[in-house]
Amino acid sequence: MLPEFNFKRPETLREALKDYSSENYKLIAGGTDMIVEMRKEKDIDYDILDISGLGELKGIKKEKSKIYIGALTTFSDVFTSAVITKEAPLLKEAVRNAGSLQIRNRGTIGGNICNASPAADSVPALVALDAEVNLVSSDGERTLKLDEFITWPYDTDIKEDEILKSISFKPAEYTGYHFYKLGRREALAVSRMNVAVLLNIKNGIIESAVISPGSVMPTPGRVNEAERLAEGNKPSGELFEKAGVKVSEIMIEQSGIRWSTEYKKPVIEQMVKRALIFAAGIKT
Amino acid sequence: MKNINVNFNLNGEDISIDCEPAKTLLDLIRDDLGLKGIKRGCEIGECGACTVIMNGEAVASCMVLAPQTEGANIITVEGLTSDDSLHPIQTAFIKKGAVQCGFCTPGMILSAKVLLDNNPAPTRKEIRIAIAGNVCRCTGYKQIVDAIEYAAELMK
Repeated sequence: MLPEFNFKRPETLREALKDYSSENYKLIAGGTDMIVEMRKEKDIDYDILDISGLGELKGIKKEKSKIYIGALTTFSDVFTSAVITKEAPLLKEAVRNAGSLQIRNRGTIGGNICNASPAADSVPALVALDAEVNLVSSDGERTLKLDEFITWPYDTDIKEDEILKSISFKPAEYTGYHFYKLGRREALAVSRMNVAVLLNIKNGIIESAVISPGSVMPTPGRVNEAERLAEGNKPSGELFEKAGVKVSEIMIEQSGIRWSTEYKKPVIEQMVKRALIFAAGIKT
Repeated sequence: MKNINVNFNLNGEDISIDCEPAKTLLDLIRDDLGLKGIKRGCEIGECGACTVIMNGEAVASCMVLAPQTEGANIITVEGLTSDDSLHPIQTAFIKKGAVQCGFCTPGMILSAKVLLDNNPAPTRKEIRIAIAGNVCRCTGYKQIVDAIEYAAELMK
């Protein structure tokens, strides 16, 4: 048994927004983070609003050159989506090994974002794709950049009466991509660190590079300094090694020297290098 | 706290029950409905012992609030066959020695069923991926993979 609470299951988004703005509710969708959190507590001082049945917040569509992923779309639905497979295979790779099949069948992309765990698998890939979050409340809608929306580990800029409606992005222009997840084992592992990369290589030269690590900086975001270093150059193991070193430098600049730095520094350097090598499709 | 009326289909039978919202689907099935096939393991979605099939997908019943099952179709190991006979996956588990302590077995069998329903002739790698969310602490994984491969043969 979990700690006691009252439960409501609104039928429509409109009804959910009204309930959410007037009572002391927390939202539950797939529950794969929420139930674990609730189980840690003896008592909870909120009630539960179950939005998992709201069809309006489910599904993936392409509209006016943008891809929209409903916040309640599960990891499994993202993974099997024809639109994502074609337009954003980087995101498909990122969710491939998130949790277990049982978790991917329930866990939602919106929940993964709003929980704002630094180890979230979908976030680095979505940040690499320059994704935006579309929020809705009784007062209207607003859109924020995903990397600005997540403000701190487990914290976002969401207002008390707002619900995440969807995540959207324009398909990126790239010639290669890679998502590198480092966990303690392959199945059911929380990412120790991960990194999403995109490379656009034209005539043997890197025109643009995107390097978006997870669980490395205090908040998600691209490492522009490392990207600039790679751009305008011919892809090579040495170049990607330098890009990796730049990422670890920025990591230490932003996160400081921590107990884990001795491990994380050389490992993120290699992860970035390997991800870029994969994305460039070169042999070293 | 206010009880919630929940209606869903469990192993082919329509259920309508008043339940406390703080119950998970696992609590509801084991404690209120008395089906003890699914097991209470880690209760944080990591071990897979509480796996049920919900609307055709394997889910951890410890991570679903009981009232969230409104309108759903749930299958547990008790519902694999409508009579006392064994399902071919169960026969295969026995035949291949895939049951040791038995704690993970119901969850393993349900994960295997979802796999075989969607992919009647899986490779060993596909089988391993399909049961990656089910932990066996007797570490009899090889026999379990053998059993699922054999079940696929039996179900042809």
